Amino acid sequence: MKDRRLLGYLFVFAATLLVPAVVHDTFLLRVFTEAVMWIGLAVTFDVLAGYTGYLNFGHSAFFGIGAYTTAILMVRAGWHFAPAAVLGGAAAGIGALIAGFPTLRLRGAYFAIATWALARAIQQLVLIMDVTGGPDGMRLPAFLSPRFFYYVMLGLVGITFFAYWFLLERAPFGLKLKAVREDEQGAKALGLNPTKLKMQAFILSAVPTGIIGGVFAYWVTFIDPASTLGDLVSDQALVMVVFGGMGTLVGPVVGAILIFAFKTAFWAYLSDYEVLYIIILGAVIAGSVVFLPNGVLGVLPQRGRRNGPSPEEKGPGAVLPETEGGNSHG
Amino acid sequence: MAEPILVVDNLTKNFGGLAAVSEVSFQVHPKEIVGLIGPNGAGKTTLFNVISGYFAPSRGKILFQGKNISGKPPYVLAGRGIGRTFQVVKPFPGLSVLENVVIASFLRHPKRARAEEHAWKVLEFTELADKAHQSAASLTLAGRKRLEIGKALALDPTFLLLDEVVAGLNPTEVDHTIDLILKLRDRGITILIVEHIMRVIMRISDRLVVLNFGQKIAEGPPGEVARDPGVVEAYLGGGEA
Ligand SMILES: Nc1ncnc2c1ncn2[C@@H]1O[C@H](COP(=O)(O)OP(=O)(O)O)[C@@H](O)[C@H]1O
Ligand SMILES: [Mg+2]
Repeated sequence: MKDRRLLGYLFVFAATLLVPAVVHDTFLLRVFTEAVMWIGLAVTFDVLAGYTGYLNFGHSAFFGIGAYTTAILMVRAGWHFAPAAVLGGAAAGIGALIAGFPTLRLRGAYFAIATWALARAIQQLVLIMDVTGGPDGMRLPAFLSPRFFYYVMLGLVGITFFAYWFLLERAPFGLKLKAVREDEQGAKALGLNPTKLKMQAFILSAVPTGIIGGVFAYWVTFIDPASTLGDLVSDQALVMVVFGGMGTLVGPVVGAILIFAFKTAFWAYLSDYEVLYIIILGAVIAGSVVFLPNGVLGVLPQRGRRNGPSPEEKGPGAVLPETEGGNSHG
Repeated sequence: MAEPILVVDNLTKNFGGLAAVSEVSFQVHPKEIVGLIGPNGAGKTTLFNVISGYFAPSRGKILFQGKNISGKPPYVLAGRGIGRTFQVVKPFPGLSVLENVVIASFLRHPKRARAEEHAWKVLEFTELADKAHQSAASLTLAGRKRLEIGKALALDPTFLLLDEVVAGLNPTEVDHTIDLILKLRDRGITILIVEHIMRVIMRISDRLVVLNFGQKIAEGPPGEVARDPGVVEAYLGGGEA
């Protein structure tokens, strides 16, 4: 059952490898590359949001840390792109380790606020530092090969997807995370260390996000605090995940494709009405939270989908064990 | 008698000014079933939470298999062999019954396939196998209480804390659960059980420990404890049974 699904994923992945053979238009290939990037950002966001119930409003920070680390190493230290981007991922992972230590003990809403604030702090820091170029941003050596970036992005996001599939859907790790999401206190009694598991998920979310940021920096050749560290990455990833279906692997992919397609079409034809875009996006999210609690994917009849309350309804609670005094007398 | 498996030594747990458990000492020996009784609010669940690592003791200590375990977190204690159920059951509602038990099975069987095999055995034993693929939220109260026992059991514990696993069940289900508990003892598991239903606790316990307002007021064989004037007073005084 699961294996047949994996075959499906591999088939889709193989098909996307052929895109540059069919799409010769440079602009269109850029659009495809960006779509793949957003799939990556949505899937990485969902590792934490969907599997542990924590909404990371600082997801953009990982992306920005990866982008800036890559840019600094390439521009200031003369590194090659690949090791620089890998180090960008490592830097994001270390960022997660440091940020996760205090924040992952918090309850869901406080975590969301804390990560958002941390991301803002990092953005401010980048604005005042010299090595980052401050508000002027950084220009990277230009490498103008749309195909190269399409394949790098696709390879990176593909590897991330299949690694996640193995860890979250195959290995015990995914089930353990879900246990923590459903009931942290109950999970502890079964030998699970919730803080450690959440930390692992956080790092698992951060590292590929950082590398994606590094690829993005080299691809667009110019980065500044607004484009890499702004709220857009976190907000858009959240929207994609909620719309597509939280807590699944395919949901964020579907959500990313649909939202990104809509966004691209909108900008192509209605770019004068930016406010309208925001309004529509907001309405779509409100609508999908109310009418599609499991996202677009939840509308399809499927086996093995969770049917309990979603994490947003319940919140990842750090509730103490029960201490009630007045019930259940035989 | 053999070395005690659990030693509760002068244990106190305060919540602010309230001593929910106050200077309580008792021991549990291997393969015993010890009943922990007392009126509502006596501190039974709090004592369970301290023994299983959810609260650190305010004073006193707990030895498990001769080692001081005071203040160790629950997930470490699960690894040491302490399993527990929750009075307010804690199924993972969005997951299937099987997945619930598989998660517990990972403790002793880190590989998924082995964990599933083990989980199936536990489901057979607890008679939940036919509901394995249902969501845990869809179970009846009796089913959820049995799942609670199943999850604790999947940890292969040497010592089990059962907090009101019978309360709220109908008489047939009660008998069913009693049989299950006795079978666990036959497997060599030591049990500390909180239960309000006297018929149950008298039948299965080798020994009783009685708490009232956080303090131990009596300890001994069920027949003796039931005649203890202090115990009778606590129950009549508290209007509880
Ligand atoms: N987390 C807590 N915070 C404050 N008071 C608590 C807490 N847990 C239990 N209590 C209080 O401790 C006392 C004992 O409660 P409990 O252990 O649940 O009793 P029992 O299980 O015997 O009914 C009660 O007065 C209860 O209100
Ligand atoms: Mg209680």
